[in-house]
Amino acid sequence: MSGRVSGRVASAAFLLLLVALPWISPSYRFLSIAISTGTVAITLYGLAVLFGQAGLMSVGHAALMGVGAYSAAILALRLGIGFWGALPCAMLTAALAAGLIGLPSLRVSGHHFVIITYAFCTLLTIVLTNGGDATGGASGLDLDPVGRLFGVNFDSVRNYYLLVLAALLAAMLATDLIARSGYGRTLRAIRENEALARAVGINTALHKLGAFMLSGAFAGLAGVLQAYYLRHISPGLYGGLPSLYIAMSVMLGGARVLYGPLAGAVIVNFLPEVLSIDPVDSRMAYGAGLVLVILLLPGGVIASLADLGAWAAALARRTAGRWTQLAQGR
Amino acid sequence: MAALEISGLRKRFGGVEALAGVDLSVTRDAILGIVGPNGSGKTTLFNVITGVFRPAAGRIVWEGHDIAGHPTHAIARRGLVRTFQQAMSFPALTVAENVGIAWARRRMAAPWAGPDAILDFMGLSEQSAEPAGRLPFGLLRRLGLAVALATAPRLLLLDEPGAGLNEAETAELGELILQLPGRDIGVCLIDHDMALMARLCQRLVVLDFGTKIAEGPTRAVLEDPTVIDVYLGHRP
Repeated sequence: MSGRVSGRVASAAFLLLLVALPWISPSYRFLSIAISTGTVAITLYGLAVLFGQAGLMSVGHAALMGVGAYSAAILALRLGIGFWGALPCAMLTAALAAGLIGLPSLRVSGHHFVIITYAFCTLLTIVLTNGGDATGGASGLDLDPVGRLFGVNFDSVRNYYLLVLAALLAAMLATDLIARSGYGRTLRAIRENEALARAVGINTALHKLGAFMLSGAFAGLAGVLQAYYLRHISPGLYGGLPSLYIAMSVMLGGARVLYGPLAGAVIVNFLPEVLSIDPVDSRMAYGAGLVLVILLLPGGVIASLADLGAWAAALARRTAGRWTQLAQGR
Repeated sequence: MAALEISGLRKRFGGVEALAGVDLSVTRDAILGIVGPNGSGKTTLFNVITGVFRPAAGRIVWEGHDIAGHPTHAIARRGLVRTFQQAMSFPALTVAENVGIAWARRRMAAPWAGPDAILDFMGLSEQSAEPAGRLPFGLLRRLGLAVALATAPRLLLLDEPGAGLNEAETAELGELILQLPGRDIGVCLIDHDMALMARLCQRLVVLDFGTKIAEGPTRAVLEDPTVIDVYLGHRP
C-alpha cells in the first residue's frame, strides 16, 4: 500500500471516529471537552494560515475569539439577534478587529508584531472588564441557548458537538484550499522573502493585513461557538494566557500540515482534561514540551511523525530488499 | 524621451548625502552600466528608483509617470523591476514556484510563453522541482534573474549580477543579459567587474559620493582621466 493511499485511509478512519464520537463517547464530560477542544481548534486553523503560510505569529488570538464572543452576546442582548445571525456578524467584527490591530502593527515585523498582538490582548481584557453594562464588567454576559434550526435542536450536547465538528471540518477544508491556492502561494512568498516579494510586485502590506483579518474571522467563528456552548462569557477567557496557549498549540502541532493544528488542540486542550492531569503539572509539562518541540521538531509533531513514517517505510523497504537477497541465496 | 528620466535625485542617511542631486536618463535599447567606488550611491540609486527608499528631492519619471515615492510593488507592476546584490530567492519553495510567483504578478506581455520557457532560457529546467534554498550559488544567481524576468519587466535594474560568481559563470550570465534588449527588455546594471561592464554596456555612468562624475560611451568613460583617478586607478 503506497503512503498516499494509507494516509487517505487513516484520514477517513479518523474522520469517521470524530463523527461517531457522540455515540461511543464514554461520558458527558468527554464529549464536553471535545466540544471546547473543537472550538479552539478552529482558531488554530486560522492562526495556521497566518503563521504557517504568511509567517506571522500572533499571541493575541484569544482576544479575537473574545471579539467574536462578545459581538454575539451583545447582538443577542441589544438587538435580539440569535446564534445563526451572530455567526457571520461575529466573524466580520473579529476580522475588522484584526484589521484595526494589523493596520498599525504590521508596519513592524518579527517579534515586534508578536508583542503588539499580546498588548492588544491585554488591552481588550481591560476594556471588557471596565465596560460597565455593555460588557457586563468582570462578571461578563450570559447567552440564551442556541435553539432549533430546520427542526434540529442544538441544545443537546450531541448535536452541538456535531455542529462544532462541521465548523471545524469547514475550517480545515478552508485552510487546505487556501494553502493550495495562488493566494496561499503569495503568502508563502511573503513568509520566505518579503523584500523579494515586494520586488516582484506583491503588495505585501495588503496581503499580510488580509491574512491577519482572515485568521481573525476563524477566531470570531470559534468565539461564537465557544460562547454559546459555555452560555456565559467573561474577560478572563480571552486574556494573555489563553492566547499563549493558542500560539503554543499551533507550534506544537505544526502550522503547515493539515492535521497539525488539530493535533495541537488535542495535546494542549483535550488530553490534560481527559487524563485529569493537575493544571500546574500540565503547564510545566507544556513549557518544557514547547521548548523541546521548537528545538527538536520545528515543523511540529505531525510533520515530524510524517518524517518518522517515511523513515520507517524506507527502513522497511531496505530490510525487505535484504531478505529477498538472502532468500535468493546471494 | 528616455524610458526612465531622473532629475535632481537626493537621498540622505543621517549626515551622509548618499545621492546628492543625480540626473540620469535610461533608454531601453542600450545597456547602461553604473560604476563607482563602494559607498558612491549606486545601490541607493536603485533602492530609491524602485521605491525601497523615498527620495528627499528630485523626480523619477518612468514612461511618463512620476513614480518617486511610490511603493515598490506598484513600481514593479509598471514594468520597472530590480534584482538584489545578495542572491535572493524564496528558499523553501521550488525553483518553479519561485518563478511562478513572479509570473502570476506580471502586468505586461512577456517575451516568453511561460515560466518554463524562462527556466529554459536561464538553464534552470533541470532544477525546477528543487527547493531554491538548495541551489548552488551560481544557479541561485541565475534564479534571481529568472524571477525578475518572470515579472515581464520593461526595464531591469541588475545590482551586481556577477557578484560571487567565477569567471566562467560571469561570462555565461553576461551572454544571457546581452540577449535581453533583443527581447524588448531594457537593462541597467551595477557591477565592479570592468571586463563584464565593457562587454555588456554601450554606455557608462560613474558615481562618486552621490554625484555623477562621468557619463558617455563605455570606451570613452573608461579612458576618462577623472574616472581613472577616482575609481579605476589604472588604465584597463
